[in-house]
Amino acid sequence: MKKIITSAFLVLMAVSSWGQTPEEKGLAIAIEGDKRSEGYGDSKVKLKMILADKKGRESSRDMRVKGLEGKGGEGDKSLMIFDTPKDQKGVAMLTFTHKVKSDDQWLFLPALKRVKKISSRNKSGPFVGSEFAFEDISSQEVEKYTYKYLRDEMLNGLDCFVVENTPTDKYSGYTKQIVWIDKAEYRSIKIEFYDRKKSLLKTLVNEDYKQYLGKFWRPNLMSMTNHQTGKSTRLVYEDYSFNVGLKVKEFTKNSLKRAR
Amino acid sequence: MKNTLTAVVMAPMLMLAAVNAGADITFDTQVDYEMSGFFNDKARSSPIQAGIDQRINNSVSLELEVFSAWDGGDQSISFKPFYRQDEMDEERSHGDIRELLWNKLSDEYELKVGLGKVFWGVTESAHLVDIINQTDSVEGIDGEQKLGQPMVQVLLEREWGNLDLFVLPYFRERTSAGSDARLSAGLDYADAIYESSDEESNVDVAARWSHYWEELEYAVSVFHGTSRDPLIGGYLDATGPAVQAYYPVISQVGVELQFLDEGWAWKFEGIVRDGMPEDVYYGLDLSGVRAGLNLDIVEADHYFATAAGFEYTQVGIWETRIDLGWVAEHIYDSRQEKAGFGAFEHDVLLATRWAANDDADSTLLAGVVYDYEYQDYSVSLEGNTRLFDGLSLAIEARVFAPSSDNVSQYAFRDEDFVKLTLSYYL
Repeated sequence: MKKIITSAFLVLMAVSSWGQTPEEKGLAIAIEGDKRSEGYGDSKVKLKMILADKKGRESSRDMRVKGLEGKGGEGDKSLMIFDTPKDQKGVAMLTFTHKVKSDDQWLFLPALKRVKKISSRNKSGPFVGSEFAFEDISSQEVEKYTYKYLRDEMLNGLDCFVVENTPTDKYSGYTKQIVWIDKAEYRSIKIEFYDRKKSLLKTLVNEDYKQYLGKFWRPNLMSMTNHQTGKSTRLVYEDYSFNVGLKVKEFTKNSLKRAR
Repeated sequence: MKNTLTAVVMAPMLMLAAVNAGADITFDTQVDYEMSGFFNDKARSSPIQAGIDQRINNSVSLELEVFSAWDGGDQSISFKPFYRQDEMDEERSHGDIRELLWNKLSDEYELKVGLGKVFWGVTESAHLVDIINQTDSVEGIDGEQKLGQPMVQVLLEREWGNLDLFVLPYFRERTSAGSDARLSAGLDYADAIYESSDEESNVDVAARWSHYWEELEYAVSVFHGTSRDPLIGGYLDATGPAVQAYYPVISQVGVELQFLDEGWAWKFEGIVRDGMPEDVYYGLDLSGVRAGLNLDIVEADHYFATAAGFEYTQVGIWETRIDLGWVAEHIYDSRQEKAGFGAFEHDVLLATRWAANDDADSTLLAGVVYDYEYQDYSVSLEGNTRLFDGLSLAIEARVFAPSSDNVSQYAFRDEDFVKLTLSYYL
């Protein structure tokens, strides 16, 4: 009897996946991608941000990012600390990601010892002068988009799903994102960002993926190119570590003041 | 004096070295070169200030920061000495220990002992609630530069919010420019007088509870001790007009509110203060010269002061990367014309804030503070940009336009200035 029910269930599954709409398939891919990144606990990484203008002139920023995985219904928490430019040393930003409502974000200005809350309205704005917007660097929760599977496509020798993500937040700077996700590991390989006028604004390419703890894939290089201005920003990650035992108290408004 | 200064600087460094043999010590240095240009409005100069005719003033300051942590980051010491050398003003050439703090973190509490700086408040136009640190007023007219405050601070982070408790065992007098220098109003300061018989050693206490709910942030604070704001009494002495600061013992309750609603940030801060006299007079002899230490205090009831308004930010205006903010705040003091020197009795701030969001983090803040009863106003401009990593440029300009000679701003009527600051980070 049990066997019959199981087989019936499997048949039903097969039929439903057969009859899956592009929206359902897109969502299923996003959920699977999210599931595969679950369980990292906490993480620490150093990163260098390299800003290049149209003529190739570069300037850079060094920062460190600590992350804490949200439990249950909570989103992730992250703390970003700036080391350079030297006048920005000690500036720190704390983000509480939320699945549905807008993220909470605070900035600490060490010269004034002042903690300022950042308006979520700001999410489409440039992050520290770069081609990344605040919303591009915040933790990607499934609930922040609606999805539509478009097609399968080979990209750089990887068999990929191509999915269209539409932001649910009205303050997003994008009308849609086209995302290439490799079928084997569910990593985001490339994202095209379309602005409010629906024209192609930016392309993000994630390269040099490495696997940590035998499970979590992280790109060592993220390159964002703005097609409308010719400017680009590269994020170069180094020294990733996971499950280092970071505590909740390291991700509080007050902890910003002692972030180093 | 020099030896004392050396000892003061060296002692904590040695302590740091001793405590931390083996631990990493980081050093940071900031050197500022500042050039100010002043514009006299000769037609209205008073005899007191006629002698100040200096147009350009150069000044250099140095701030070090030494930091070391151990115990897995749960304990640390930070040390920030500061020194400024000013071309003209001896009073402005001064040193301070901005910070010398031992920080201890546990699961239950965070403890800080030493000299430190704490900022409270949300508004831009006035910092009414902010009371822990004394203002280093020779450093800037906006009241944002502070002297290191001796303190024991305990912080409790709980479900119901953050509770900060302070014991402040020593008082720092407000710095003031020398009478022959700019932004001094031509006045010389005699040694301060205190209400507390313990004078600077009066032990002050303070506490602040802060929390947030969704987009609303709120805080309530209390303070009891020597007022950071002095009352200024004037008299004549052998060398001419002089003033003396009187520091009463006060009690203050402060409230801060900030509500973010999409592009809007609604802000309020307010205080109720008790123990602040209305005025002080010094006993004078028949020739108008000060006689002894006599002091007449005109007591007053408690008063309140508020600053409230909003900042509205437009992200990416005109399809550029530029953010444009509009700031409007109203400042009110229930003492009205009896409010002391430098207070805002009934003023409005209108300002615009520009953030270029470029790789040099360029920003510009331009504003006007307008007293709608006396019709006097002051205009200010503050800008900042980075020339390259390690060198930043700041500009500050202020124009004072008092409407008559009976408003407190009148003292600054000839002090319009433009200041350029180059900051070099090592």
